[in-house]
Amino acid sequence: MSNVELGLWSFPVLLGLIFLRMPIGLAMLIVGVVGNYLITKSWNPSLSIFKSLTYSTFSSYSLSVVPLFLLMGQFASLGGISKQLFDAAASWLGHRRGGVAMAAIGACAGFGAICGSSLATAATMGKIALPELRKHGYSGALATGTLAAGGTLGILIPPSVILVIFAILTELNIARLFMAAMVPGILAAVGYIIAIAITVRLRPNLAGQPYARVPYLERFRLLVSIWPVLLIFFLVIGGIYLGWFTPTEAAAIGAAGTAIIAFARGGLTRSALVDSLLQTAKSTAMIFLIILGAAALNNFLALSQLPQAAVAFVVEQGFNPWAVLVLMLVFYLILGCFMDSLSMILLTVPIFYPIVSTIDFGLAPAEFGLWFGILVLIVVEVGLITPPVGMNLFVINSMSKGTTLGQTYSGVLPFVISDVVRTTILVMFPAISLFLVQWLF
Amino acid sequence: MDETPIGRLVFLLATAAAILGGAALVAVTAVTVISVIGRAFIPLGLGAIAGDVELVQAGILFAVCSFLPWCHLERGHALVAIVTDKFPVRVSALLEALWDMFMLVAAAFIAWRFWSGLVDKFGNHESTFILRIPIWIAYAAGLVGLAIFLIVALYCVVRSANNAVAHEPVKPLSGGGE
Repeated sequence: MSNVELGLWSFPVLLGLIFLRMPIGLAMLIVGVVGNYLITKSWNPSLSIFKSLTYSTFSSYSLSVVPLFLLMGQFASLGGISKQLFDAAASWLGHRRGGVAMAAIGACAGFGAICGSSLATAATMGKIALPELRKHGYSGALATGTLAAGGTLGILIPPSVILVIFAILTELNIARLFMAAMVPGILAAVGYIIAIAITVRLRPNLAGQPYARVPYLERFRLLVSIWPVLLIFFLVIGGIYLGWFTPTEAAAIGAAGTAIIAFARGGLTRSALVDSLLQTAKSTAMIFLIILGAAALNNFLALSQLPQAAVAFVVEQGFNPWAVLVLMLVFYLILGCFMDSLSMILLTVPIFYPIVSTIDFGLAPAEFGLWFGILVLIVVEVGLITPPVGMNLFVINSMSKGTTLGQTYSGVLPFVISDVVRTTILVMFPAISLFLVQWLF
Repeated sequence: MDETPIGRLVFLLATAAAILGGAALVAVTAVTVISVIGRAFIPLGLGAIAGDVELVQAGILFAVCSFLPWCHLERGHALVAIVTDKFPVRVSALLEALWDMFMLVAAAFIAWRFWSGLVDKFGNHESTFILRIPIWIAYAAGLVGLAIFLIVALYCVVRSANNAVAHEPVKPLSGGGE
């Protein structure tokens, strides 16, 4: 078997192991090490690589931004920021039809601006918004669907852990990627609100009572009250953009900022601190094991020359660029029904990115990378809310007593449609993702 | 939680490592923030902390290594349970035991090669660029967590093997995601 064939065959094997429930990072690591042996006919290369690979991966300065963003999100969930965001959003949106659900989306978007993780956003906002939704008579389906979808705004609106990983894999500039994600992230929130508006008009029995209309003076007062969120957001994102800080420094400042807020409001008790650290520990270790496994796997794939062969194949065949792109996005949507977003990115980007980079979409190479990154980010995030395996669905469903998983599946459908519509628009008009970057840089 | 003395001990070890690692992460945050503030006030005679990047790298290395045992003990790994959920409970319990054995092998492999890297760095006296911290010290700090990871991995094999051969096995849980 040639090396390229070995590389090719490693994918069914890898997917087989993963679908037999082997932890994804472990599966990548084992396939990488064994594949390396099959190519070099010796264990020595792997033995020597792992003398330094664990060290260099775990002590990477660019990856250090990941645990810091996770810590920032954990601290942000303490100290009642989520409640204030919800109140502010409810004052502006709550009196409309389906307004409580819209307010939940607005609050998720606000929380997403200081949290880089989807599950943390869903869980934190779920605690605040689910009781409000149920109190106002919203159906379990719409309530849980709203929050599961709203949770993805944690990743779609920068800062975003997934974008950081994508930037490292593709050697793109994180600041530019964050800026490119900004408008699509806001569009996502608007799209979800439109989805709610349409759903409650088609099926009025799903929605409950709206809030009473709030005077504008009060609305602005509530909007001003969330200034710490805005301050941290602009400090973190603006600081990276203006070159004041490295992304790691920005994440540390964000973590310190959310910790100060939590402390000032009495939310940072000893047990809450321990919980935050343990939660951060779990997510961080999960992510870094996958990254380590992916490093071993990519080492083997590079050795097999599969990425180059794949690029040559696609160039030679002269496929329609748009067909290739759409096929990839559909592939992500399907795979996302079963796999988590980070594993998908680490598994596919080292192969896909070189391929699409050689295709001409009429964009400058740097801009193309940003646009592709945003598209991939969105389609892998859809995976968090698509049945049968969508982590956000599980998290929110487990928080809402009396709602079956089937009801949650049906409740999230309008939001999935909204995601697909948005993706289509962003594919057709790259300028939506790129104009802010072009204007700012 | 496993209430046997060994179960408690492993739980305690993993929790302690995770919290210590978390403390390192908080320290990394503090060092970075202080350094940024110092850099902003250079005109006032302050400055960035010398070698702050090196401190961050060492701190994150220690933290991640110390987090691994907790994640494994709590079954926090990302995995796909959709297919095995359709299997009979005993079959998926057996699979979990099998993968826990693979994880033990991987943990041993990682720790062994890490140790070998430590020995190399100890021998060649390599140190960081600015603070001149010997690299082997950073390796040694990471090795503590990896050693506990190995202990936890061994414990998890026993735990899942016991479950798999139990009269009524418990269905393995779904894993994490981001």
